[in-house]
This record gives sequence, structure tokens and C-alpha cells, in this order.
Amino acid sequence: MPDPGPVTCAGCALLCDDVTIEPSGDGVRLEPPCPLGAQWFSERARRPASAPAATIRGQAAGVEAALNRAAELLRGARRPLIYGFDGATVEDARAAVALADRLGALVVPGGLAGAWPGAPALPLRGASSATLGEIRDRSQVVVIWREDPLTSHPRLLERLGFVDGSADGSPRRAWRGTRTLVVLDDRDTATAARADLRLRWARERDLEALTCLRAMQRGVAARSSDLGDALGGLLERLGEVPHAAFVYGPALSSGAGGQRRALALHELVRALCGDRHVVTLALPSAAGATGAEDVLTWQTGYCGSVDLAGGHPELVTATRPLMADEGVDVSLCIEGGLSPAPAGVAEIALGSLPARGDAEVSIHTAAAGVEATGTAHRLDGVPLALQAPLARDAPSAAALLARLLAEIER
Amino acid sequence: MSALRISGGRVHDPANDVDGELHDVCIDGGKVVAEVGPDARRIDARGMVVMPGGVDIHAHIAGPKVNAARRLSFELRRDDVEACAGALRSGTGGLVPSTFATGYRYSLLGYTTVVEAAAPPLAARHVLSELRDTPMIDKAFLVLMGNNQVLFELIRESRGAVSPALRDAVAWWLEATGGYGVKLVNPGGVELWKQNNGYVDSLDDQVAGFAVTPRQVLEAIGGAVDELGLPHPVHVHANNLGVAGNADTTLETMRTLSGRRAHFAHLQFHCYGGKPGGRLRSRAPELLDYLGGHPELTADVGQVMFGEAMTTTADAHVSAVLRDLSGGKWINHDTEVETGCGIVPYSYRARNYVHALQWGIGLELFLLGRDPWQVMLSTDHPNGGSFLAYPKLIRLLMDRGFREEQISRANQRAIRETALLDGLDREYTLNEVAIVTRAAPARRLGLRDKGHLGIGADADVTIYHDRADREEMFATPRYVIKGGELAVEEGELRRADDGLLLSSRAAFDPEVSRVLEPLFGERYTVAFAHYPVRDPALREPARIVEAGS
Repeated sequence: MPDPGPVTCAGCALLCDDVTIEPSGDGVRLEPPCPLGAQWFSERARRPASAPAATIRGQAAGVEAALNRAAELLRGARRPLIYGFDGATVEDARAAVALADRLGALVVPGGLAGAWPGAPALPLRGASSATLGEIRDRSQVVVIWREDPLTSHPRLLERLGFVDGSADGSPRRAWRGTRTLVVLDDRDTATAARADLRLRWARERDLEALTCLRAMQRGVAARSSDLGDALGGLLERLGEVPHAAFVYGPALSSGAGGQRRALALHELVRALCGDRHVVTLALPSAAGATGAEDVLTWQTGYCGSVDLAGGHPELVTATRPLMADEGVDVSLCIEGGLSPAPAGVAEIALGSLPARGDAEVSIHTAAAGVEATGTAHRLDGVPLALQAPLARDAPSAAALLARLLAEIER
Repeated sequence: MSALRISGGRVHDPANDVDGELHDVCIDGGKVVAEVGPDARRIDARGMVVMPGGVDIHAHIAGPKVNAARRLSFELRRDDVEACAGALRSGTGGLVPSTFATGYRYSLLGYTTVVEAAAPPLAARHVLSELRDTPMIDKAFLVLMGNNQVLFELIRESRGAVSPALRDAVAWWLEATGGYGVKLVNPGGVELWKQNNGYVDSLDDQVAGFAVTPRQVLEAIGGAVDELGLPHPVHVHANNLGVAGNADTTLETMRTLSGRRAHFAHLQFHCYGGKPGGRLRSRAPELLDYLGGHPELTADVGQVMFGEAMTTTADAHVSAVLRDLSGGKWINHDTEVETGCGIVPYSYRARNYVHALQWGIGLELFLLGRDPWQVMLSTDHPNGGSFLAYPKLIRLLMDRGFREEQISRANQRAIRETALLDGLDREYTLNEVAIVTRAAPARRLGLRDKGHLGIGADADVTIYHDRADREEMFATPRYVIKGGELAVEEGELRRADDGLLLSSRAAFDPEVSRVLEPLFGERYTVAFAHYPVRDPALREPARIVEAGS
């Protein structure tokens, strides 16, 4: 393996771009070490040369034949759906929305499995946010809200300046002394074990807790809540510092009530911003998530799920998973985990990992960040270049989508 | 590109001293030429007005800040859509249209070049990606440098002088990002906001932790831009935007930069008298007087238009003030090392004293200014209003009766604070409109091929029906020709064109990397080696304007 110098790791949404890789057994070792990144690189580096470039109903096929079949399916679709984007680049997402525009497809930036993310809270009231460096250099209190980044984003704490269990003592950092890592979680996670202050309550009480915090911040006592002491302690910490950050993710903002919880967090932060500088950082898990949402927003004007069936963008405000409700008959999954589809839905998968065998069409794509270059947006919105340390001949998803579009328009 | 003759139109090409003359404009190979053969396609422009394509020197159309504003204004776009048709992509409008809709709507308005006026360099890849999806127009972006901690270090080392390292660093940043020019937003003040919700009182306030002052930032970076010979001078959003009494700051900023070329953005927001926290009044005449004596300085107006707007700025402190005023939606985003960002939806109401005064001050700047080459048209889209309001603004300038009727609807207490009731009967001529909307912005941007119809100019041409209703006339050009090809005909897009990215380039000593790399390592969470944008797919198709050319 040639030494490509530091590369950007797309193993999670942190997109660490200071990573060197070298072979290790049948996988890859990363420096600085990261188990998630090593697994991500290894899975993509391991692909045997004999693996088929494409399959049709599980049988090996040529890329051209698979593209033709995919085009045929999409041309004939009554209700096409495009989703996924976990490992997609900005270029992939641009090509996907272009195709969706022509098809009149439904676009869902994310997977269909698991909890339905619901409508995002940000458009309703806004948010205060910051890039990683701002939080690292200024926030003396960092509150992790029911996430375990040491598992999901293994280098997050390091990149926020929490090194080896203590705060980075660089004299340039505005906080220049002790910092407080607050972890709210009723699970015993790796991140919770690093906390300077732990808060515990059940997830079902998050909205109550946020509402109480807001009330207490306004000087109204949270009369009936047994969370009062814990919340008071948190507010006290926040009140002692000019800069603080809240880190949150799907555990707060997804599923039933997710939008209300996220709104409550942003309202609290907004109130705290009256006399100090407080920001939030959202933690999407997939490296392609932020970029795909950004592309969808700039090309259609909407973030969230967008329906192009009417010939123009419409925001989808459904509160339940779409595939079953919307009569989808053909789905195209781009660089994401293929979701189990209801009977009668023909599936097309473009991805760098093998698709499920029952997909109607599957085409192998070069993994961005391993086999192909591209652009990805870090979880804080910072756009970064992805390198191709193991460049191979496989086409990128963007290239395949452009060919699909050309075939459909022909 | 086929040859084309635009025949019989009344041509307004002020850069070439052509003021309404009847003559043909010939086009071949995407350029204006002296003559074309008899087989050239012909557009009969008799009875029509022919101008160079419009050039917007200051708007916000692409990048993370604009995209966040799109997210925040979802409810305004539901009934304002562009359909996917032929080669044209779908989109949505509202105050902050989606990228394709932005390109189409500028083109339909007769504009062919637009400058995104404030891009964080760290977000260059994002800005470039959006600009690639903004069709029909040539576009450029200005790189935010007024609160850059690395540059602060270099300014501190040079004690505010233009050091070779600083000059090289400015040129390096342009090269690294693909930017066209340098923007200073509230120099020093955004860093103070991020430090402790602070702000600048005076140009000599110290930026804590860096031992530099706003004045040093202005002098050093403005000087570096000038010494590098960049095609566009330093583009300044002065300190204290929107604050009563800020005219003192603006005048002091002008004095600091006088003798160097500089462009002042949205001057209307910086023309206020009164005491901080008190009632605003107009000091536009004083600022115009100063500008009049300093031809090296120019400005765009940043006209407020009554109705809905979306304030989107790197001056995040201003957004926090508007958040508290409006109680509505608010986005704040801090970008490490470089800048901030604030977004607040806002409504300008004719009966509101402050809003009416802002509206009146903008008109004062247009109507009291002696030299239209110095004061250019903008609404600071979407801050003062959408670029789609330009036709109405042009009518306000050209049609005294319409203006007086509009004045009568505005808060009269505010209007009395301006010169608008002092018999101000000036009406812009078509030539003056051509100056403030294309010739002057192109000249100030250093785009020699744009903003005029002389031989060798880009064949960007807008042809209007000569209607008495100037708003209608400028809202619906009869033809728009972009790069020699028919782009718009009678309000319909005729083709989809990518448009060019306009970048500028100045020579610099590559050894400046040795100075910058350690400063980056300490501050950024992005590796120095990965910071520059090298991907040709993001930077092309481009036209590079060399410094000093």
C-alpha cells in the first residue's frame, strides 16, 4: 500500500483528516487509533478483486446491464424513492437530487430503518452552533446529552480538547484551566465514565428536564420535579462560565417527541445566550449525512425529506416512515444501509459494500475516502476533501447516477 | 457560439460614453465584435433599450450561511416554485431561493454576474459546490478575512503594517479558496462577539488576546489588497452596523482607508446619527460629501425595501440584537479562527420610524450622491430585501411621482429626518441606471470584460422594452444574452448554462506556507495540507483575473 500521507477518514461524521493508514493483518491500522475508522477502512479495503461489479437479482452482471435494468425500473416507477447517503459525497448527493428531480422522486436523506427522525427542529426556531475548534477553544462546560461519542464518534472528546481524561492544557485555549465534561445518560457508557459530572434520568423525562431547566434559568422554581437538584447543579455550572456547549444526537431529536425535545434544547440555549455564549453540536452518525442534507437544502430549499413528484420540491411533513405510506414501488439506495422493503418494492442499491442478495439491482461503487475522491461535510458543516488512498477503477456513485440520468433521458 | 446582430436598439453603455444612441451591437464567439457577417442571426431591437448585462456587486447567494437561511425560511417557499422542465431544474423561491432558482431569477431580471459577498474561507468547498449549482450567471465570492486569528497574529507581528508575510498570506488565501476578493466584516468585532458577546466601540479597541485593533486590521489587510493589486479593492462591512451614531465609525473607517482603494458595503446601514441606544437620524449627506472628495472609495447602498427580508450576516452580534428585537427565529454559527454568522428573518414596515428612516437614507444615498460611479445599487440581498425588488427600486429612482407616492405612505416623522421632502426632484436617467447596476459594479470589481459593450467585452447583453412603467420594464427584459447565447426571451428561460466562476490570483512567495502551517496547527481542526481547494471539479469552469492586470 503506498503511503498516501494523512487522509480524511469517513468512518463517522467527524471526518478526522489527520489520519495515516497502514496495513495490519487483513485490515488496516489507523494513527491516531480509532476502532471505528479502522473497521471502516478495513471493510472497504478488503473487497476481493473477484467480487462482481454488479448483480441483478443476486446474479453477477455487468455494470452496463445493471444500469440498463435500473434505468428501466426507474423509468417505469410510479413512486420512486431515493434514500441512504450514509457514505455519500456531496458530489453523489448532487447527482442523486438531479436524478430525483427528473424522476419526480421522493428523497429521504438518511436510512429508513430504525426510528423515524421526524421533522427537524431547526427551521422552526433556529439554533446556536459552532465548529469543533470553537468549542474546543472556548467552551469550559461541555454537556453530552444522552450520546456515547466514545463509541459512535471515538475521537470527538479528543477533538474537543478533552485529552486522556483531562482538559488540554494548551495556554492558548480561552479556558486555560479545568473544564467540565457533563454527561447526561442513564446508561453506563464509555463516555459517561469520563464525565466530571453525571446526570441520570430516563429518556422519557428529557422534555420535562429541558422545560424545567428553562424555567429555572428564568428564575421560576421547578416546583414539582424531583430533578430539581440535578438540574440546579447543571445550571450552576453553566452559570459560572462564559462559554458552554451542548452535544446532542438522535437520542434527543429522533423518534416520537424528538422535534419537541430538540426545540426545548434550542430554546434553553437561546435563553442562556442572553448573557453568555452557548452553542450546540449535533451528532449525526454517518459521514455523508450532513453533506446530503446541505445539498438537498441548496438544490430544493428544504431540509428533511423532499417530494419532487409534483415537478417541484415539496417538504414532506409525514411523521411516520414513508415507504409503506406513500406507495413506493421502486427504491434507490445510495451508499447507505439497504432497508428492508415491503413486498412489491423493487430495490436498486449503489454502494461500496455488498448489498443484500434480494436487491433487484446492485452496483458496486468506489468508496469515497478509500477508492475515490470527493467532498464531505463534517458534522459541524465544515467541508472537507476525501482522498483515495486505495484508488481503484470502480465508478463513484456520482458517476453512476449521471449515467443513469443520461440513460433515463435518452 | 453563433454570430448575432442586435439591431436598431437604443444603447446605454456608459463605460464607453454611449448614452441612448441608436446603433447595432454585434456578437461573435461570446464577445462583442465590430461587425458580423450577413448570415448572423438578427434581433430586431427597434424601440428597445440595450444595456450590458447586470452586475450585482454585493449579494448573498451561496454558502453555509445562505443555506441555513434557506432552512429557516421554509414556509415562504411553498407557493413560490420553479418546475423541472427540459434542461431546467426545479427549485423554490422565497427570500432565499434555492440555487437553481437563484440563477434563473437573476437571469430573468437581466443580471449576468453576481458576487457572493461574504464566504468563510474554511467553507470554500461548500460555497464552490453551491455556485456550481447556480446556473445562468457568472459568479464570484469574497473571502472573509477581518476576524481571522492567523492574520491577526501576522498583523500583531508587523504592528499593523503591511508585511510581506501578510501580503503573501492574503494572496495564499485567495489561491487556496478560489475567491475573488477580500471582505472585512466588523473587523475585530466578530472575534470579540465570539469571545464574550462583545463588540467594538472604537477603531482603536484592542481585540483581546491578539493585541490588534480594528484600525490595524483595516490598514494592514486593506493595504495588502492594494499592494497586491487585486482587481477588486478591499470590501468593507464597517464596525457598528445598525447602531445609532455609527456614521462616526464609518467616517473614521473611510479616513483610515483613504488614499487606498476600498469599497464600502451596504452604506445605508452605516449612515446613522444619534446616540447609541437612542433615536436614529440620517447622516447620509456627510458620508456622501466625504466620498465625493475621495474617488478611491466607492460604496453600494444596501437599500431597505418594505416587506419581508432575511438578515444573513457574518456580523453575528447584529443578529443577536435583531433576535432580541424580533423574538423570532435566530441562527448563530461560530466558525473557528475565521468568522461568525447570524441569521434572523426580519420585516421592514413603512410605518415604523426606524425602517422608514433606513429606507429614506438609502434613497438619499442614491439621489444626493453626485457621482453614480461611486454609489452602486444593492439591497444587500436578502438583508434589505430580495434582489427581485431591484425593478421597484429602479422605479423609485427614475419616477419621481411614484417615489413621492411611496414616501407619503412611510412614517412621516422619519421622512422628515431625511432630505426626501426637500424638493429632491432628481430622476435617474437610463444611463445612470446602467451605471449603478452594471458599469460601475463591473469597473469596481475589476472585471474589464463586463459591464460594457465595447469591442472585446463579454457578450452579456440585456434588452428591455422601453416602457413608461420602469418597474415593469426592468422586471421583464425582452431578451437576455449571456456569453453570446440567448438565455431569456420574453420572460422565459431559453437555455441552461452553467456560468463561470470568477477568481482572482496574485503572486505570492510559497514559503509563506512555513509561516502559516504552525499557526494553522494550533488553531484549526482541519489539517493545513487539506485546507486548500484543489479539486478542479469545484473550481472550473473558471476565469482567473490576474492581480495588476
